[in-house]
Amino acid sequence: MSTAMTFGQKQFIPTPPDKGSFPLDHEGVCKNSMKRYLSCLFENNSNNSMCRMEAKEYLACRMEHNLMAKEKWPKLGFPEKEDQTDEAT
Amino acid sequence: MTVGLSYAAVPLYRIFCQAYSYGGATSQADANDEVSKMKAIKDRPIKVRFNADVASSMQWNFKPQQTDITVVPGETALAFYTAKNPTDKQVIGISTYNVVPFEAGQYFNKIQCFCFEEQMLNPHEMVNMPVFFYIDPEFSEDPKMEYIDEIVLSYTFFEAKEGFQLPVPSYAK
Repeated sequence: MSTAMTFGQKQFIPTPPDKGSFPLDHEGVCKNSMKRYLSCLFENNSNNSMCRMEAKEYLACRMEHNLMAKEKWPKLGFPEKEDQTDEAT
Repeated sequence: MTVGLSYAAVPLYRIFCQAYSYGGATSQADANDEVSKMKAIKDRPIKVRFNADVASSMQWNFKPQQTDITVVPGETALAFYTAKNPTDKQVIGISTYNVVPFEAGQYFNKIQCFCFEEQMLNPHEMVNMPVFFYIDPEFSEDPKMEYIDEIVLSYTFFEAKEGFQLPVPSYAK
């Protein structure tokens, strides 16, 4: 934590995340998806834009195993084509 | 004073979060609309570096799974930390985070992560902890951000004990 602020300087105020906290993946059910994502990053010079599919796969894995509230992809920043329907149940 | 209040928000948020499972509904509606409408600003890459710390009395091994990720404003990104409990007993941790530079922090939006809520690790257990975030597209329109192309995201884990409160700097009271 950054506490080396001189008196009078603005203090960073942390805020809670929009959708709350991820439940812990105690059993590691989505570990493989995570590894694929990290490999993708490693191969693409840590460029997030190149690994969107893998990130989406990881989040899909979480939703499938009740480790994340189901959400429509556009609301997570993954624009959807009109004919796909990944709707929340 | 305001910092004290914001840290008081932590236990309040925890209670609220547990009641509603995944965060408040009202603020979620606005955030989600923003996310679905925002456009990635491809010509403004930002390197987000990841830092992990634990309080000195906290025994978890906590580290980021990637040293940095290059993102662009308006595009959601996923990052991972790993935490391991090397002890023979259950340890409950709670984390907070910080973003530097200070001025960039206002554009850093977390959709979901593992902070502020208590996380329990069993003896010798290791878990992956994701952070799902984005940099607000308005970042690219702020003249003060013109020369900022690196942001550091730091998470710190504390051990959550009875009556524990996330520490507040003394001069902030």
